[in-house]
Amino acid sequence: MQAKLRIRRFNPETDKKPWWGEYTLDEVLRTDTVLDLLHRVKWEQDGTLTLRRSCAHGVCGSDAMRINGANALACKTLVKELGVKNDVVKIQVEPILGLTVEKDLLVDMEPFFDHYRSVMPYFVTDTPVPADGRERLQSPEDRARFDDTTKCILCAACTTSCPSFWADGRYVGPAAIVQAHRFIFDSRDEAAGERLDVLADTFGVWRCRTIFNCTNACPREIKVTEAIAEVKMAITSGRV
Amino acid sequence: MAAIPSKTPGKITVRRVKLERNYERAFWLFMRLSGVAMLFLAVGHMVIQHIVNSSANLTIQFVAAQWSTWGWKAFDILLLWMAIPHGIRGLFNILGDYIHNAGARRLISIVLGVFVVATVIWATFAIALFDSTRF
Repeated sequence: MQAKLRIRRFNPETDKKPWWGEYTLDEVLRTDTVLDLLHRVKWEQDGTLTLRRSCAHGVCGSDAMRINGANALACKTLVKELGVKNDVVKIQVEPILGLTVEKDLLVDMEPFFDHYRSVMPYFVTDTPVPADGRERLQSPEDRARFDDTTKCILCAACTTSCPSFWADGRYVGPAAIVQAHRFIFDSRDEAAGERLDVLADTFGVWRCRTIFNCTNACPREIKVTEAIAEVKMAITSGRV
Repeated sequence: MAAIPSKTPGKITVRRVKLERNYERAFWLFMRLSGVAMLFLAVGHMVIQHIVNSSANLTIQFVAAQWSTWGWKAFDILLLWMAIPHGIRGLFNILGDYIHNAGARRLISIVLGVFVVATVIWATFAIALFDSTRF
């Protein structure tokens, strides 16, 4: 079958404005991923096409992009999911929104990681290590509370699908809240108050208008909006 | 193999955290609670004024008859206290998404805040002191 790709291109050294590049590929399989097709464009047609990818198997979170108008990982999106008609698939690929485009599909992730760092995404405790020198144990029920949010791979698909983040990049964004949730609700961690103070700020969780774009965008199927709601309730009730 | 601690089987550990006081949290809570309250107040108001009693019959005499009892005055004052701050806070949230300048944001918050306080005080007095015997 055939794939017709429309890719948002921008080279800051030669282009004043972004433009659409159109590429046709033959002998495409229904089980090819969008990343496979982007590789073929880069390797067979235009070597200047710039994109981020690393593991190509949905684990590293490098290749989040806007595919047919919705954020997804290029390596997890199959051709057959994109509406094949008469043995032709039309695919539009753009960089994720809300972050500065550096070249083609590559955006500056630094503002995203600044928000990530702001919520202290690491284990904090003053309690000495257990006497046996082994793990800090917790019950399966305590572990289950933050199980969902451990799945985040920091691909930014959620944060860059959020209109609140598009409107004002100072909003900490769903990904940082998910990462904070993973530690706030960990019974072994002792810095929940400091993280919640960051998230109770004007540009914290209150910017979330519960529209669920993040939940739809998450390639790991994390219930992002639910995690944000739990953080809002933790701030409101003073309990975690 | 290490045993899983039996300290709290089947229960989750709930901890208390001390947070700095924050007006954003108070507003967020107000928006939720006033929203629930208005589900009854605003919808009830519309049903009573415009459906049970047709809009065509909605005259000053009808309102005066309602406001001759403290129950109806209290209903409308409560609706006023919920609706005006809820609506204006919602407007401020939307404006705040797109106005990034800190000075402009402060100016808008002051203008809208004065509007809310003035409207709520003025309308509360208007309803509370309404004299039904003159209509």
